[in-house]
Amino acid sequence: MALLEIENLSVNYGGIRALQSVSLSVERGEIVTLIGANGAGKSTTLRAISRIVNARQGRIILDGKDVSRLAPHEIVKLGVAHCPEGRRVLARQSVYDNLMLGAYVRRDAAGVKADIELQFKRFPRLEERRNQLAGTLSGGEQQMLAIARALMSRPRLLLLDEPSLGLAPLIVREIFRIIGELHNEGVTILLVEQNASLALQHANRGYVLEAGELTIRGNAADLLKDERVRQAYLG
Amino acid sequence: MKLVDQSSQQYRRLWWFASRGFAAVLLVLLVTSILTTPGGLQNLFNGLAIGGVYAIFALGYTLIFSILRIINFAHGAVFTLGAYFTYFLTGSAVGFNGLLANQQLPFGLPFPIAMIGGGILAGLCGILIERVAFRPLRNKGADPLLTLVSSLGVAVAIVNVIQLLVGAEIYSYPRNPFGELPAALNLGTFGGLSQRPVIIRTIQVIIFAVSMVIVVLLTYFINATKTGKALRAVAEDATTSSLLGIDTNRLILITFFLSGLIGGIAGTLVGLSVNVSGPYFGINFGLKGLAVIVLGGLGDIPGAVVGGLVIGVAEAFVPSAQVAYKDAIAFAVLFLVLLLRPQGLLGRAVVQKV
Repeated sequence: MALLEIENLSVNYGGIRALQSVSLSVERGEIVTLIGANGAGKSTTLRAISRIVNARQGRIILDGKDVSRLAPHEIVKLGVAHCPEGRRVLARQSVYDNLMLGAYVRRDAAGVKADIELQFKRFPRLEERRNQLAGTLSGGEQQMLAIARALMSRPRLLLLDEPSLGLAPLIVREIFRIIGELHNEGVTILLVEQNASLALQHANRGYVLEAGELTIRGNAADLLKDERVRQAYLG
Repeated sequence: MKLVDQSSQQYRRLWWFASRGFAAVLLVLLVTSILTTPGGLQNLFNGLAIGGVYAIFALGYTLIFSILRIINFAHGAVFTLGAYFTYFLTGSAVGFNGLLANQQLPFGLPFPIAMIGGGILAGLCGILIERVAFRPLRNKGADPLLTLVSSLGVAVAIVNVIQLLVGAEIYSYPRNPFGELPAALNLGTFGGLSQRPVIIRTIQVIIFAVSMVIVVLLTYFINATKTGKALRAVAEDATTSSLLGIDTNRLILITFFLSGLIGGIAGTLVGLSVNVSGPYFGINFGLKGLAVIVLGGLGDIPGAVVGGLVIGVAEAFVPSAQVAYKDAIAFAVLFLVLLLRPQGLLGRAVVQKV
């Protein structure tokens, strides 16, 4: 059974159709990437999984359980962490408190402390700035904090929305190195990216979204060679 | 491009110095005038006592505003409710008007416990208000302006229910609510600083002390506890908070409870000082509370405290012959401050996100 299964998901914003009958699945331990143009519905898919937007129809099944009617915080309790587009760190709280809030659903204080040290080892820049307000960090540091914060809940499934957006190439490479590291640690990731070539290089499988509908799907390696994908997204 | 940047920076620095300088001059003027006016220190202490209540009352608005960006117009009514709850919890009887005329509880609590109980009951009313007047509209995605109106409706309803149940007469708390304490303290002349001896009522000391204890406890709660930090997270970005597993609706309920709790205690404290003057007790106070939070900076906790103390002290300096202008003074201070600092005394300038 797949860890995440989406069946015929449709989402409307106002009267506008954002997603139309999207079905996809993510197996345990996989990196699956959703690629597509701006406004194709990539972020909307993640937001529907996290339940911060309402689906018009369709089902979201996590580990065999239908979660399509749960509240956002209940989704997090079931082991889904969503690292949102634009990072969305809590600017007025310290780096350390951002990480603590990432572990809000956990009750094991000792484990949380240990995990913070773990994240500091993964992102040494964050340790240097642990008492700084998150709003004073650079864009790359904020992205690292957003990923570290998402990991603090020890997710079974990590939803990553545009982690490379607006970052310098060097930082982007660093972020993707860490995504690879997480993959090796066995974290399951659903990755939304505009940088299709980078995403496909790191993913196992990929889906292409066009105007709210899935048009192409397949192994990442195959998609990298696919003529349609190359023309539209790889330049 | 660079030139423009530099000059705007210089302008900002100049403005910074000018505004700080102006504030310093004002402060010096204020302190000297307090010390030289006959009875200045007396007024200062009187002002601080009532200002402390203004502060905690305004904190109730601030808590809800910082989370929902909505002014809860029912807050003044909750203040009134708290004062009445405390009255009945002390075992005192209802007057001879209203449906509950001459009724009383079969027991009477000591005043400090009744005050906390009254606060808790007011907090529960806060929760009820959230469920009835705020959440249904929020769930439907209604404009915040509509919620404002529905909270105003709740305020009117509460006032009328109070009148229906217990009438419109003045209620006074039992005498000597804190046991046999001297009625006032003589602080002397502060080594000749004050021409007349400064005398403060014991009640004023208690009011100020209770207010400050509440400020300290609330500050601790917001800044040092897990729930408090989650509350700040929701205030900053509710959607992201829910992605972290924070149940935003639950935290909003907690906020309404806290707001009602301190509002209710504020009502009791004012009732101690000047009696509970009827169902409209909190309405005038409610308006002044608005002045306080706008003065301090909307949604800013230290701002509400400073704003409350400033307005309290400013009012205390109104000469007794012009006491009718007391409320006007609060709003005049507000007007002046807003001319100079539209974001309020301690508020941050609103940064437009692009």
